[in-house]
Amino acid sequence: MAVIKTLDDLKKRQEEMKARVNLRDKAEDPESLVQVKVAMATCGIASGAKEVMEFFVTELNKRSIDAVVTQTGCMGYCFAEPTVEITLPGKEPIVFGYVDVKKADEIIERYIKEGELVDGIIPQNYNTI
Amino acid sequence: MTDLAMHMMDIAQNSLRADARNVGIDIEERSDDRTLTLRVTDDGKGMSRETVEKLVDPFFTTRDTRRVGLGIPFLKMTCEQAGGGLQIISTEGEGTTIEAIYRTDNIDCLPMGDVPGYLSLLLKANPEVAFRFTYRVDNTEFILDTEELREQGIDWADAGMLAAIKEYIGENMNAINSTVNR
Repeated sequence: MAVIKTLDDLKKRQEEMKARVNLRDKAEDPESLVQVKVAMATCGIASGAKEVMEFFVTELNKRSIDAVVTQTGCMGYCFAEPTVEITLPGKEPIVFGYVDVKKADEIIERYIKEGELVDGIIPQNYNTI
Repeated sequence: MTDLAMHMMDIAQNSLRADARNVGIDIEERSDDRTLTLRVTDDGKGMSRETVEKLVDPFFTTRDTRRVGLGIPFLKMTCEQAGGGLQIISTEGEGTTIEAIYRTDNIDCLPMGDVPGYLSLLLKANPEVAFRFTYRVDNTEFILDTEELREQGIDWADAGMLAAIKEYIGENMNAINSTVNR
């Protein structure tokens, strides 16, 4: 594919992309979407939160899962960074710790898609630093 | 923090927590005085003089989720290790400017890191904030302004556009680096 260097290139890419994903209905109600919050404070950044967030954004899109991926501050679990909070529609948020790209893939395939709990959940009453 | 891009992301988060609507991020390399500068300017709520003085204390934080705040202390440490320094100018109700200067002829000067990667995520996650990013090497510069993207109808918050925005920033930064004589 051609290199993207100008705003026109960006526009063109957007049009190509829109044409491809047009069939997917975009649900605007955030309650009906999977919400992914990647902790992106000093501790998260230093532990590799960028790779994890990049992975969630691109992979959820590729795997046609309607989700909002955003960033949040530190939740106090600095020792377990990168941490990710996932909220499935109609469910309580769950925080996963020590998330790398491999773990993120497992979270998408097993928790987000199947609702199955996977290792690495940080209990809500767990000590913060 | 092992590179400048990490600091950039970290310091920009402070602006967002201060409810900034406009955030300017400048990365500037100058060959005449051999400096590399990271500057983050925002129109957030700003800080009092007392707060600014406490910023470099690692045990000062406004959060209640933890008792330490290392973003600014780390930034101060890395730029001072590289023979530079940190400057913070803030006015309550108006905003804050943070400037970290590194000496490029110092062996501890930080590498650039994945600026396009962090920046594209920062923009994507905060579509309601106006960002203006400038990368300048001497007299050559590349500016990415989200207002300009908006005028062009480019939706940088769309997940499918993340890779394209990252490539756009990367290509333009590379272009500057390849034309500048070092």
